[in-house]
Amino acid sequence: MAEPKKKTIVVTRFDPDKDEAPRQQSYEIPVEPDWKVLDALNYIKDHVDPTLSHRWSCRMAVCGSCGMNVDGEPKLTCKDALSNHGDTVEVTPLANFPVVRDLVVEIEGFMEKFQKVKPFILRAKELAVDDGPTRQSPAELDDFRQFSMCINCMLCYSACPVISTEPDFLGPAAIALGHRYNLDTRDQGQAERNKVFREDGGIFACSYAGECSEVCPKHVDPSGAIQQAKLGNVIDWLTGLVLRRGDAR
Amino acid sequence: MSHSTPIVDAMKPSRPGATRTAPPRPPDGFPSRGNYRAYIAFGFGGFFLFTVSLLVLRSVWALGNGEAAWNRLQTSFQNPIYVLFHALAFLWLSWFILRLFRLFPATQPKRIGPFQRPPDALMVAGLSGAFVVVTLVVAAILWGAF
Repeated sequence: MAEPKKKTIVVTRFDPDKDEAPRQQSYEIPVEPDWKVLDALNYIKDHVDPTLSHRWSCRMAVCGSCGMNVDGEPKLTCKDALSNHGDTVEVTPLANFPVVRDLVVEIEGFMEKFQKVKPFILRAKELAVDDGPTRQSPAELDDFRQFSMCINCMLCYSACPVISTEPDFLGPAAIALGHRYNLDTRDQGQAERNKVFREDGGIFACSYAGECSEVCPKHVDPSGAIQQAKLGNVIDWLTGLVLRRGDAR
Repeated sequence: MSHSTPIVDAMKPSRPGATRTAPPRPPDGFPSRGNYRAYIAFGFGGFFLFTVSLLVLRSVWALGNGEAAWNRLQTSFQNPIYVLFHALAFLWLSWFILRLFRLFPATQPKRIGPFQRPPDALMVAGLSGAFVVVTLVVAAILWGAF
């Protein structure tokens, strides 16, 4: 029987109790042809070094937990085939995030940005049950469906050069999701969200590098969402100059 | 990855957590990888926009100061450095505008009013075609064709 192929996985290690700064550690492991990068990390964890820390859950590109930088590019490690890489594969924590331990990043800052855009349906007055269901046509759903596919994997934040220089920038995923609710015909919270969008660090902080859309594993196109939100906000602001406040949607 | 490389102040929670964290690093491969190159070059277009705007102001000033000032300006534009600058500015700004048009479809919603948005290729072709036509017409006017 042929020897299984071996690859060297270079992983970032950081123990906050011992290490001053993150360091790299190499593991040479046998790999199967159909393995994803996550399989290699799990092999290391299970058979070589149980102290390695990394996040993962669903293994089918749905939960968004296993985002890491693989050979310098933000990837979902459960989706990224090991065969796409050479004999040495470098796995690092997502860029632009503080590192808690090894490949695990601090996501509290992300959750705070997320909450700012109120990513849920806002209504001036809740409908009574007797009013019946809120109807939405397939065409209306299609207006925002793409932006609702986000799995919060944060790869877009890792690729965004603005996040590195503007700590207050809301970031691609949060704005895309806010925009998704602004386009939802059942929602009435556009004015509230647009106020957040127009603040410092809002949509106009984006300088359209477009890399967030390149790395998005779900083809959400957050950079497109941000540009649409910019256009919508300019029109909304201009309309507000002409119409009585409150008339502009 | 080496954390002796630059660190950035990004994605920090408003209150520090219980665990000490290592600082974030900027995106890997910036500015040489993928879209970043075009992004940086696109941003550099601002240099030409700024300097050409200054030249336009200078031209307006010369225009308001009589024929002699205008003629001096025209003569100075024949300097090889000016010619080279204008050639570079023209090439860079043409690329800048054509890239802007290529990015334009992403800024448009799925429906524009009651209508479905036109195909992306049609939008890009329409805008780019209009740019080429307007540029040729302006060039012809400056050449004295009309």
